[in-house]
Amino acid sequence: MDETFILGIDLGTTNSLAAWLTQDGPEVIRDAGGGALVPSVVAFSPDGSVTVGAPARAHAVENPLATVYSVKRLMGRGIGDIRGDMTFLPYAVEPADDGTIRVNVQGRRFSPQELSAIILRDVKSRAEAALDRSITQAVITVPAYFDDAQRQATRDAGRIAGLDVKRIVNEPTAAALAYGLDRKEDARIAVYDFGGGTFDVSILSVAGGVFQVLSTNGDTQLGGDDLDRELIDLITSEIREEFGQELSFPPATRQALRAFAEAAKIRLSEFDSATVEVALGKGRTFRRTITRREFEQRAGRWVEHTIEHCRRALADAALQPGDVDEVVMVGGSTRIPLVQKRVGELFGRTPYTAINPDEVVALGAAVQAVILAGTHRDTLLLDVTPLSLGIETLGGAMGKLIMRNTTIPCQAAEDFTTYVDGQTSVDIHVLQGERELAKDCRSLGKFQLRDIPPMPASMPRIHVTFLLDANGILNVSAREQRSGQEASVQITAARGLSKEQVDTMVNESYVHAVEDMTAHRLIDLRNESARILGAIEKALHRAGDVMSDAQRRLLDSAVNTLREKMDGCDDPDELYAAMAAANDAADPLTRAQLDEVIRKTAKGKKLDDF
Amino acid sequence: MSAVDKSPGQVFPAKCNHCSKPMSAPLVCDYCHALNPSAEVVDYFTLLSLPRIYEIDPRLLRDRYLALSRHAHPDFHGDDTPEVQQLHLRVSANLNDAYRTLSDPADRAAYLLNLLGGKTSARDKSVPNGFLGTMMMMQEELADARENDDKGELERIRNVLTCQHDGLLNRVASLFAEYSQAVACEAVRNDFLDEIRKQLNAVSYVKKLLSLL
Repeated sequence: MDETFILGIDLGTTNSLAAWLTQDGPEVIRDAGGGALVPSVVAFSPDGSVTVGAPARAHAVENPLATVYSVKRLMGRGIGDIRGDMTFLPYAVEPADDGTIRVNVQGRRFSPQELSAIILRDVKSRAEAALDRSITQAVITVPAYFDDAQRQATRDAGRIAGLDVKRIVNEPTAAALAYGLDRKEDARIAVYDFGGGTFDVSILSVAGGVFQVLSTNGDTQLGGDDLDRELIDLITSEIREEFGQELSFPPATRQALRAFAEAAKIRLSEFDSATVEVALGKGRTFRRTITRREFEQRAGRWVEHTIEHCRRALADAALQPGDVDEVVMVGGSTRIPLVQKRVGELFGRTPYTAINPDEVVALGAAVQAVILAGTHRDTLLLDVTPLSLGIETLGGAMGKLIMRNTTIPCQAAEDFTTYVDGQTSVDIHVLQGERELAKDCRSLGKFQLRDIPPMPASMPRIHVTFLLDANGILNVSAREQRSGQEASVQITAARGLSKEQVDTMVNESYVHAVEDMTAHRLIDLRNESARILGAIEKALHRAGDVMSDAQRRLLDSAVNTLREKMDGCDDPDELYAAMAAANDAADPLTRAQLDEVIRKTAKGKKLDDF
Repeated sequence: MSAVDKSPGQVFPAKCNHCSKPMSAPLVCDYCHALNPSAEVVDYFTLLSLPRIYEIDPRLLRDRYLALSRHAHPDFHGDDTPEVQQLHLRVSANLNDAYRTLSDPADRAAYLLNLLGGKTSARDKSVPNGFLGTMMMMQEELADARENDDKGELERIRNVLTCQHDGLLNRVASLFAEYSQAVACEAVRNDFLDEIRKQLNAVSYVKKLLSLL
């Protein structure tokens, strides 16, 4: 067993995937069907089983309250941060005692970290199956504009999933690594990363194996989800106009509308119009053809936000748009023609779209994983912190200690003292953000300095060091210097999960890990097998005549074997093999149907079909 | 005796912590390539094996910084013990802070001034004679140009301020040069340092105005 193996994981808002570095370069990990993307969706069945990925997403409409998606938008946030999102989420979100978020699924409360851990565990076990090895270490990517709390939440999710997270790496930086690895010429590149839930732009200089991030900017609450919402808004307002303002949309309908909107958006990247048909019950049907122009009018303001972030990143890097040699497009939303057009106009060049925008971040994570494993020493990665870090000063102002776009790791020190005789503790309110007032910045919580030796007021000199590590995560240390002896000062943080909470979750998942893993895989595989059998049956019905006799005999035998294994077999590997065999045998059918499927996507579907 | 006369190599332990071989630079051992904790306590110039002077070669600065970062960066020490990882983290942070400070002329000058025993901006807020008058005039012109939304005038003011900024830093450079030659008399040397502080205060002022444009 290779103990230095580190998996690269892109934990996305919409999809997650993993990659590793082979002899021929980084490669994403695919399942038997060739798919790499695992939808970042977790579904809880009434029987207590948990499904992840495509099967979970397939159940979203019938089980909207127990299907959780876009959990990345909740990571490290407080309930107050996501008010705008809450009206759109079909599942129940509520505050925990400390103001962080919990998702309530059938009365059980999950932190976003635990939900992300379920996705990570699934990605991990897929990789373990594909590579036939156990995996304990990972690099996980995050949006560059994630703050300390969001990064810590991601790292905690990894730990809960049983992974030693060797590095949290910024998504645009990872993309630049994958893009620039084999390029020898020096260049300045901009990475424009417009994903499902977040937007980042990073400007890098790449020279002699040194990848230096010059500046980064973005918005962790701006992504393809917001474009879907524009279409949902359009559809719901017109439905109400047509069928009455009092019409309400139950969770199942909201979930279905989301699926329609997303499908329409995707279709509009390729075609000039998309038709949406919604069955509203009692024989009522809403039908609407949306043109690309209409979509662009509504999506335009979001795209302009991203352009403004690009301008700010350029200004911080002290560059003009023309100074950038290449613009690398990352994230599914960069398939939208309007996005490519506006980015091209800003930088005065055609954006580079030759790499798969869904996979490049995971590939970069695999490159970073190899650097960390110590086998790839000629690449040096210098990243930056996206947000200024400071403390609340008297009067509620934000006193900056570390400026945004400072290369990490970096540190700053500040001396504190006491106001009352004999005072033994001091609170420090740590903030991240660019605004002048503390209340307008993100609070990283109040750190308490304790065990200060009792002295007259303003005598102690407590030297506090704020260190941002290579993950962009804050480490605070403090020493009292006046008392002669360098007394160490205890520090307690006050946000996110405590170390004890994480440990408990790690232990819980460890206790259940083995049984979970087998049971979990079996459930997933049975669901997936049932789905495949259903699909084959349907396909045979529609297009069975495309198969030769030999092909048909092969398929029948594979289907029979799979049916037997589904009922009687408790070994996930055996079941997996049978499932893969049936899938392969159905290949001629799948190909024949492909055209038909493409034609029908996003067009004239009814609720029941989802 | 001022630290400026010391050549780099005398302010850190001469022996490597790890293999006890003599070291020619403070950070990385020439023999065993171990990182030495003494790198945490030396000044930025010594850390990067650069002479303690204002006029430094930016290429040399970058080359040294990158070479040392390849040793110190936490990316290359993922499998070391937690203590060694912590050391690399702190040293790497120190290197980044050093590079950032020394790359910016005004920050470098302020840092060097501090090393040489000059006053901080908190202790001495004075500016060169006549400077405040000029700045008041510029501010009025700036306010007028803003009010009339006169793009050409704003551009002119930006150019004037940029010239001011560069001129002040040129003056700082020559003052540092004169300082290093005036070895004999402590009082004369301190006069130079006070004058550099005034110029740097003026630089901060001009920078602030420029950032408002």
